[in-house]
Amino acid sequence: MTEPSEIPETVALPEDATIAPSKAAEIRGQRQWPLPKLAVPGAPLLEVKDLQTHFRLRNGWVRAVDGVSFGLADGEALGLAGESACGKTTTALSLMKLLPSNGRIRGGSVELFGIDLVPKSEVAMQRYRWREISMVFQGAMNALNPVIRVRDQIAEPIQYRLGQPEAAARARAVELLDLVGIPRKRSGSYPHELSGGMRQRAMIAMALACDPAIVVGDEPTTALDVMVQAQILELLERLRRELGLSLILITHDLSVLAETCDRVLIMYAGKVAEEGPVRRVFTAPRHPYTRKLVGSFPNLHADRRTLDVIHGQPPDLLDPPPGCRFAPRCDFAMPVCTEVVPPEVRFSDGVRVACHLFPKSDIETIGAPASAAAGPSAPAA
Amino acid sequence: MSVTGIAGTELGVGRFRRTGQQARDFAGRILGRSDGLVGVVILGVFTLLALAPDLFVGPLQTIVTATGKPLEPPSVVHVLGTDETGRDMLNLTVHGARISMTIGLMATLITIFIGALIGVLSGYIGGRLDNVLMRISDFFLVLPTIVLALILAPIILDIIGPEAEFLGIRATLLVIVVVIGLTSWATTARVIRSQVLSLKERMFVDRARVIGSSSFRIMRRHILPNVVNLIVAQSVLTFATAVFTETTLAFIGLGDPTAPSWGELLNSAQSSGAPGLGAWWYIAPPAVSVVLVVLSFTLVGNALDDLLNPKSARR
Repeated sequence: MTEPSEIPETVALPEDATIAPSKAAEIRGQRQWPLPKLAVPGAPLLEVKDLQTHFRLRNGWVRAVDGVSFGLADGEALGLAGESACGKTTTALSLMKLLPSNGRIRGGSVELFGIDLVPKSEVAMQRYRWREISMVFQGAMNALNPVIRVRDQIAEPIQYRLGQPEAAARARAVELLDLVGIPRKRSGSYPHELSGGMRQRAMIAMALACDPAIVVGDEPTTALDVMVQAQILELLERLRRELGLSLILITHDLSVLAETCDRVLIMYAGKVAEEGPVRRVFTAPRHPYTRKLVGSFPNLHADRRTLDVIHGQPPDLLDPPPGCRFAPRCDFAMPVCTEVVPPEVRFSDGVRVACHLFPKSDIETIGAPASAAAGPSAPAA
Repeated sequence: MSVTGIAGTELGVGRFRRTGQQARDFAGRILGRSDGLVGVVILGVFTLLALAPDLFVGPLQTIVTATGKPLEPPSVVHVLGTDETGRDMLNLTVHGARISMTIGLMATLITIFIGALIGVLSGYIGGRLDNVLMRISDFFLVLPTIVLALILAPIILDIIGPEAEFLGIRATLLVIVVVIGLTSWATTARVIRSQVLSLKERMFVDRARVIGSSSFRIMRRHILPNVVNLIVAQSVLTFATAVFTETTLAFIGLGDPTAPSWGELLNSAQSSGAPGLGAWWYIAPPAVSVVLVVLSFTLVGNALDDLLNPKSARR
């Protein structure tokens, strides 16, 4: 975190960031609680296919998430990035089916251990919520009840979800707090007696309460100062290694993603713009939006004037533009962009891009568009 | 166990646990404020008098056991003078404290219980239930206390008989308690509902639901402790109002003539023509007592409100 701005050059990704499949399988075998009965043997941990989550408004459906696909392997950390209102949080909430009353998953599937969660009823979802997928909420102060001791709040899911007796649940809660670095003698504190970083640690402890397979972090480090942020990220990284967790991290902060994630998913207006290994995506962005996003992140060593700005605003998702949704703001927009939705193309280095500049996976990646980038007013053919 | 009485207040709570040290701290902070100190002292004196009146002034005097001549002005023997039947005013006023404060306490319990229950249910569940409950509370909000008492008193007395007793309290007093409770719960319910409406949008309620808490559990464990400061403040205000209402109702003749509450004393002072005869000592003791008790409750209420409110500067 010392040089948060140096994404492309100096990000040091640990070589063994991804836990080898064999080790991951081993961890899955060590689960404290049994897998769901319906789990398909050998199925991937999480497979999201063509997810469509829409919100009903008076004048139509807002397509907040419109055809998003991705997978998550055991022990992997996936980052979800993009500007505000591009569907990151909605995607994450859809995994647990925790949508507001006007939200509905209208298509696609969310397969956890090969079990499709989309058709599950509220009652059936209880088996998976928090026990398999849990969440670190944004803003720990609001997510903790100010008048209940932190330890007792963490004991709640253990009691209700796993049916443990109160005393055992409380003892486990103290252990969890210890695990995330809150001393035992502080476990009886009320939320306001803890610092912001400790509250966030407590939220992480709560997410771990039922020994889940996946933890979703919705902006877990927003509103924390840089030092505390670094500690929290380190903690998440450590837990991922020790417990074999899989992480989904949602954030605006690309430096956070660069530091913690194996893969990154860049979303724009409810669709996947680019997805791939974090180093590839950040050092050699293909999609113009990714490029803008990386360019608009302040760099300590660069001149202040070189900060790139994406002009305009994301489209109205009530009535999205035909073709590519980024076309109205894209420097490289071609006539085809405003008419045809770009297909997702997968490259040999594991990157997936949805852009007409890359119609086929054999096109050399950095070449043509990079030279076009030299001229700011790009040639719209 | 984690939620302790007054302690269950937002932010104010953590400091005040059931351990003796923290209770002492809290008491120290109330008594450290001038309004809190004055309120607690006055209230303490009246509570003592109400608990053991016989200890201070002997048994309640009746016309038979009256010790003085009618309408004697204050003297060394009768510090506060006597009434028209020769009873000692000090004796009557002290015994009146018990009746007035018992009624106040019972009316407050009823009010707060109904008010908090309706307020939390209405605010949390919302929708149609909220609509129905709030229309009912609207009805009770506009209902004038005294008119309701005038109508209810004879009805209830007719049903259960004026001599019936309930937990040692005569039916006539019970009517007063019920009437005060019926007319004041709606305010409490409104106040608590509005706070619950804001609380239920807080993220910890969503979080509680996600981790598997039922609605009942959320209301009991997450919402209720967060409105305890409102409940305390409302109780204090309701108690003061109840004492006052009891006085008013007794004054207009709806009290129990055999139980000398302060309002009852004022009533008999008025009917015996004390003001015309210049017998100020007949009117002043019960009147000043009512004012002092109401004042002390307001002072304590203010102090508690300040201490329990996280946004207040003087915590």
